[in-house]
Amino acid sequence: MNNLLIPSSTALRVGTRALLRLSSTSAANSNRIWIGRSAFRTQSPARIRKLTRDFCSRSVPDVRRLAETARITLTPEEIEEVGPKIQQVLDWFGQLQAVDLENVEPAIRADTEGDNLRDDVPEVFENREAIIAAIPSYEEPYIKVPKVLNKE
Amino acid sequence: MGSTTRFQSPRLIVVVLPSRRRLLHPLRFPPPPPPAKPHRRTFHFTPTLCFSQPQTQTQTPTQPPHSQILSIRRSLLSRSVTALDLAESHLARLNLAEPRLRSFLHVSDSVLREAREIDEKIHRNEETGLLAGVLVGVKDNICAINMPATAGSKLLQGYFPPFDATAVKKVKQSGGIVVGKTNMDEFGMGSTTERSSYQVTANPWDTSRVPGGSSGGSAAAVSAGQCVVSLGSDTGGSVRQPASFCGVVGLKPTYGRVSRYGLMAYASSLDVIGCFGTSVADAAILLHAISGHDKLDATCSKLDVPDFTAQFMSASLLDSQPLKGLKIGLIRETVNDGVDTGVISSIQGAALHMEALGCTVTEVSLPSFSLGLPAYYILASSESSSNLSRYDGVRYGNRAAAEELSNLYGDSRAQGFGPEVKMRIMMGTYALSAGYYDAYYKRAQQVRTLVQKSFKSALAENDILISPAAPSAAYKIGEKKNDPLAMYAGDIMTVNVNLAGLPALVVPCGFVNQGKTRLPVGVQMIGAAFDEDKLLRIGHIFEQTLQCSNFAPPLADSISS
Repeated sequence: MNNLLIPSSTALRVGTRALLRLSSTSAANSNRIWIGRSAFRTQSPARIRKLTRDFCSRSVPDVRRLAETARITLTPEEIEEVGPKIQQVLDWFGQLQAVDLENVEPAIRADTEGDNLRDDVPEVFENREAIIAAIPSYEEPYIKVPKVLNKE
Repeated sequence: MGSTTRFQSPRLIVVVLPSRRRLLHPLRFPPPPPPAKPHRRTFHFTPTLCFSQPQTQTQTPTQPPHSQILSIRRSLLSRSVTALDLAESHLARLNLAEPRLRSFLHVSDSVLREAREIDEKIHRNEETGLLAGVLVGVKDNICAINMPATAGSKLLQGYFPPFDATAVKKVKQSGGIVVGKTNMDEFGMGSTTERSSYQVTANPWDTSRVPGGSSGGSAAAVSAGQCVVSLGSDTGGSVRQPASFCGVVGLKPTYGRVSRYGLMAYASSLDVIGCFGTSVADAAILLHAISGHDKLDATCSKLDVPDFTAQFMSASLLDSQPLKGLKIGLIRETVNDGVDTGVISSIQGAALHMEALGCTVTEVSLPSFSLGLPAYYILASSESSSNLSRYDGVRYGNRAAAEELSNLYGDSRAQGFGPEVKMRIMMGTYALSAGYYDAYYKRAQQVRTLVQKSFKSALAENDILISPAAPSAAYKIGEKKNDPLAMYAGDIMTVNVNLAGLPALVVPCGFVNQGKTRLPVGVQMIGAAFDEDKLLRIGHIFEQTLQCSNFAPPLADSISS
């Protein structure tokens, strides 16, 4: 139950892609994408209800792990300090568990208008130099970063 | 002025009176050309009204707010004033107020040059846009070329975006002059502007208080006359709550009305760019300038943008019941326990005023209202954890020195983000975790469906809904800084509107007294999707007929003390 949705090695990329889907696919589709990642998918509705009821009381976030997944280096003191605050807000989030939402469709965003997607055609961005100027370390034609080591 | 439309609750009448004396400005501005028409807060034309006639303490109601934008246009086209004069006096005022307010993170160095260009155009009788010569403040999470854009974060210190946001581009195309970038809570995460990594902005009504947030810099700047109008962004109330705290008009358009290209994303399903002005007309004109379809934002609507001010009438032309037949719903859950009594009586005063204008006001209940707040914070944190993943120190912003890539990410983000941003990213990461997704993110989306439905049915029965914009007036700097839930609770009035994607307008409607200090309170008017037209028309009539309509802050006190 405690597996994180986003594998830590690809945290940044997957998160962004998932959100892109929010704005570019229909509600039904993007739901399937998200639910597809959920551990609840194969559970019966009754089991899901029990699980959501249960975990709120027992789940204490592993702040060190969360910070690592979110790619934010925290000192032990910071972990100590932020842990109770996160817990406090998550407990507050927990009130939604008591709401009967059976048969309510999730809404991915404001119910205003459909997508207005443009054609998928590449365009040249004129002010290329300014983009490059903002890159902290650049060596034509590459963005330079230190060595990539995968701990896993 | 004795017509029956000027109905006002007794409390509101009483509080109008002492305001004038406090507006005396201790510093003399150069004498301007004689004003063609008295005009609120455009001190260039009429310093008399706001700053130099304390002796005219009479019982007569103050002038209703006029459109500064239209006054500027009239003065420029009649050649009674130049854009350069206007820009110079605004900059003088900006600089005068800035040490106390700290509204701006960056002030443009090309304002005077741009003003001269407008003067040359007018001199050559060339066509100029509706915003010609109008100084526009831009929230620092909205990109403008040749200016830094930090979103209030150290992580983006020194970042110069290579393009204009569509809204900024449209402002410039209409002749508007971007005067600078306004302070904000880091990436929009806050309700006080205390969470900027650079400075805390003060409220022009009382510099020991917060201006609200996250668009606090934009609200304070307009309130204090540091610019004419400004752009903000509203994810959960970040335009409307500071508008209420600072006594200015704040407009959150329908989700999809304004392109978000160039707005740094916080929660993409909720974010909109909004407008601040000192009158409903100014907010409406600015909205018209920035609205419309943009192929660079797929959520941006293709619907036509009406000329919002086309049907605005001046107060003198209105009949006795100009809003006759309109139905207004006062949201019951917003005038309950936990809301400041002064705020409630201001809103009730606003409701009475609307009744006097011919509306039928009834209470409506939105049963899902209180659920909106946790649902909003789940959605906003979750989406921010994803959206802010782009700030990794690789392509822009500050990069930490590191031996390997994963440390570069972690350290750059650790050094760049402030504590609230880190916390929200981690909460969002948690809420999107496998095993918790259904319990948090999906449930919040289901609550969003309930909220949307309850607004829909309430708006099927009513033309607009009203509520306070915040449960209190501006509070003290530091008062809620270390209690996240107390600060989140302050967003209860506004977040539901973002969940439903509806347009909402905040218009100053009264005052509360905090000891010796008078603080403004705004009423929030909520309309149906893409019906800004009706919302603004009602807001305009409301504002023009309100008797205590002088919402210029006593900045003089704070500058001289």
